[in-house]
Amino acid sequence: MLKHLKRDSNQWSLYTVTISLFIAIPLLAVVIYLFNGPGDMWSHISNHFLWDYISNSIILLFGTGLLSALFGVSAAWIVSNYQFRFRNWIQWLLFLPLAIPSYIVAYAYVGLFGNGGSFIQILNSLGISIQKIEMMNHLGLIWVLSCSLFPYVYASSRAVFLSFPKSIKESAQLLGASHRRYFFSVALPLASPAIIGGLFLVFMEVLNDFGAAKYYGINTFTTGIFRTWTALEDLQSAIYLSALLVLMVFGINAFITWRRRKKSYELKINQSQRNNFNKKTLKGKKRWLYGFILSIPVLFGFVLPVVQLVYWAVLTFAEMFNAELFWIALQSVGVALSAAFFIVITSIVLIYFTKWNHLKGLRFFKKMVTIGYVLPGAIIGIGIIRSSQSVIDFFSDGFGLKIGFLFYGSSFILVYAYIFRFLAVAFNPIEANALKIGKNLGEASQILGVNKFKTLLKVELPLLRNVIISAFVLVFIDVLKELPLTLILKPYNLNTLAVSAYAYADDERVAEAALPALVLIFIIALLMVFLNYAEKTFLKATAKTK
Amino acid sequence: MSHILDIKNLSKSYDGKNYALSECTFALDTGKICAVVGESGSGKSTLIRLIAGLERPNGGSITIKGAVMSDDNKITAPQNRHVGLVFQDYALFPHLTVAQNIGFGIKAHKDETLQQMLKLIKMDTYASAYPSELSGGQEQRVALARALALNPELLLLDEPFSNLDAALKSDLRQEIKQIVNQVGTSMIFITHDLYDAIDIADEILFLKKGKIQLHCPLSALSKSTENQAVKSLIDELKHNAEHLLQLLKH
Repeated sequence: MLKHLKRDSNQWSLYTVTISLFIAIPLLAVVIYLFNGPGDMWSHISNHFLWDYISNSIILLFGTGLLSALFGVSAAWIVSNYQFRFRNWIQWLLFLPLAIPSYIVAYAYVGLFGNGGSFIQILNSLGISIQKIEMMNHLGLIWVLSCSLFPYVYASSRAVFLSFPKSIKESAQLLGASHRRYFFSVALPLASPAIIGGLFLVFMEVLNDFGAAKYYGINTFTTGIFRTWTALEDLQSAIYLSALLVLMVFGINAFITWRRRKKSYELKINQSQRNNFNKKTLKGKKRWLYGFILSIPVLFGFVLPVVQLVYWAVLTFAEMFNAELFWIALQSVGVALSAAFFIVITSIVLIYFTKWNHLKGLRFFKKMVTIGYVLPGAIIGIGIIRSSQSVIDFFSDGFGLKIGFLFYGSSFILVYAYIFRFLAVAFNPIEANALKIGKNLGEASQILGVNKFKTLLKVELPLLRNVIISAFVLVFIDVLKELPLTLILKPYNLNTLAVSAYAYADDERVAEAALPALVLIFIIALLMVFLNYAEKTFLKATAKTK
Repeated sequence: MSHILDIKNLSKSYDGKNYALSECTFALDTGKICAVVGESGSGKSTLIRLIAGLERPNGGSITIKGAVMSDDNKITAPQNRHVGLVFQDYALFPHLTVAQNIGFGIKAHKDETLQQMLKLIKMDTYASAYPSELSGGQEQRVALARALALNPELLLLDEPFSNLDAALKSDLRQEIKQIVNQVGTSMIFITHDLYDAIDIADEILFLKKGKIQLHCPLSALSKSTENQAVKSLIDELKHNAEHLLQLLKH
C-alpha cells in the first residue's frame, strides 16, 4: 500500500535494489542493447547459421535429455530399491562424472574411439575388426553430454526414491501391483517433478556447453555467440543471438515450471517411515543385467575418460609436468576461492537484506539476481563486455581517462561475472536453510535488544555454518569447471586449468590437455570426497549438538 | 491506575483481504496479568506479535507506557519497545548454553543479573547445559528468564503451556505467576484453555475471528455471559468441573 511505502521502506530496501541491479547488469545490458538494432553481420548469420544454431541446440537438448533421464532414473531406481554387493560404493561413484567437465570427456573420447584409439585397439585385440567409432557428430556429442550430465537426474531422482514412505510401496503390493507396475504407475509419476528438476539442470548445461560442441564441430547458440563476437567481430549481432538464447532458456523454464506445477504431488513423509523398506537382494540374471545398467554411465562417464587421460598424461608427463602447471593450478584455485568467497557473502547479504525490508515487491529482485544460473556463460560474458565497453567509452570520451585496464587487465570483472552466474548455487541452499531455522530465533534476539546485524552474526550465521561450508565448496567446484565465461573475460595474464586444457585441445594437442584436465578432475574429486566425508562426520556432528 | 498498554483500532491483514485482527481496542493497567483466550485462528498470536513489533499493523495504534510504538506514520523496532516475549516454541538459541541464552540481551551487570535469573528459575546447576539437554518445562523456564533478564515493562507469553503435560502445566502456572509477581512486571499471555486464564490472570480478553468479544476482570467473568462465544466456553468449563466432581464423589 502506498500510504505505508514510506513507513515500510528502509535502508535495506535501498541496498537490496542497488546490489541486485548491480549484479544483474549483464542481463540488463543484453536487453537494453537489443534496442540498438542488429549488427552488420546479422543478415549473413540469420541466412546461413541461425537455423543450424536453433536445430542443433534442440536436437542436443532432446537427445541429451532423453539419454540422461534413462541413465539417471534407472541408476537411481536400482540403488534405492535393491541390495547388492558394493552398493554403497556404486551409488557414490555415480556422482563422479560431475567431477569431469563435459569438454574434457569429449577430448578423451577422441582418444578412445578415434583412429587407432585405445578402445578400438582393445576391440581389435578381441578380434573385432573396426577402424574407429565416429564420435564427432550429433549422436557422439549427445552421448558425451549425457555421460557427463546424467548425475543431475540421478541425484534428484535418487533423493525422491529414497524418500518414499514404506506405506506407498506396501499399499501398491497389497493391491496386487507387480514391481514393474509399481515403478511405472506409482514411483515414476511421483518422482516426475524431481526428475524434471534434474533435467532442467541438464538442459542448462547443454546450452552452456562450448568446449565439447566446438571440438566436435557442431554449431550451437553458444559456439555461434563466440564466433560472431570473435571471428566476425560483431558484438551487436552476438547480443541478438544471446537474446534469442535467453528466450529459449525462458521458454524451457516456463515449460518446466508449468509441467512441475501440473504434476506437483506432495508426499506426506513421516520421518520414521522414510526409506525404511527392505531392499530386495539382487540375484541371478537380474543381478548381471542391473550391474550392466549401472556400469554403463560409470564406465563411460568417469572410468574410461579418466583412464584415457591418465594414458595421455603419462605420455606427455615429461613435457607438461612443470612449474607452469603448478602456477596455472594455483591461479585456478585462487580465482575459484575468491569467487566462492564473494558469492557466499553476496548471497548472505541479499537473503538478509531482503528479509529485513518490509516491501514485498522487492522479492522480484531476489529472483532477478539468481537467474544467472540458468543463463549460459556466453550470454553473461557478452553482457559484461558490452556494458564494460560503455563505461570505458564514457570515461574516455567524457574525461579522457583510459580505464580499460581495470576491466580487462584484472580478475575483478571475471569474479563479478562468476557472482552473477553462480549466485543461485549458494543463494538457494542458504536461503532454504535460513527459512528452516525460522524467524522465531531472530525475533527472539531482537526482542532481547540485539539489532538485526548483530543477530545475524551471533545467532543466524552460526546456525547456518554447515550449509555455508557446503555452498562454498559447490560454488568453488562450479567456478573451477567453468569454461565459456572464463574464456571471454579472463585477463590476458590469467590462465586456469579449464582454459589451459581447452587451449591445448583446440590446438589439436589433445594429449597435452590431459595433465591440466587431470589436475582439475583431481581437485574437484577431492572436494567432492571432502564434502561427502564432512557431511557424514563433523558437519553432521555439529548439527546434532545443536 | 496508569495504563502500561493502550491499543486503539488495531487491525492486521496478511493478504490485504481477510483480517486476522480487526479494529481492536483495549488497555491494560500496570502490574496486571491479562489472559487472551480464543480458538485457533482467532488472532491471539497476531495481537501479541503486533504488540511486540514483529508484525506491521494495517491500521490503529499501540502505546506502551505512554509512548506511541506504532501508528500509520511510525513503527518502533522490537528491540526498542521494552517488552519481553516468550515464544510458543521458546526459541532458545540451540548453539548457546542456558547461561549464554539468558545473558544474550543483558548489557549491564551481566554476571549478577544472570545469577539472579538462574536462581529465580531454580536452574543454577544447568548454566552450561544446551537447550537440547533440557526438558520442556526447563526450556520454558529458561525462555522466561531470558525475557525477564532485560526487565521488560510488559511481558508477553505466546501459549506458554501448550507444549506441557497436565502435571507440569499446573506447577508452571503457579511458578510463572510467582516469578512475574516477584519481578513486578505486567503480563499478557495467550491460551486456548480457560483453566490457565482462571488460575493466574487478573483479567481476561476473549477474541473471536479477530474481534474482541469481551474484556473484563476475572471477577466479572460470571456476569458477562451475554456473548454467545464466551457463554459456551464458560458452560463447557462448568460442565467439565461438574463432571470431575461427580467422578471424585464416586
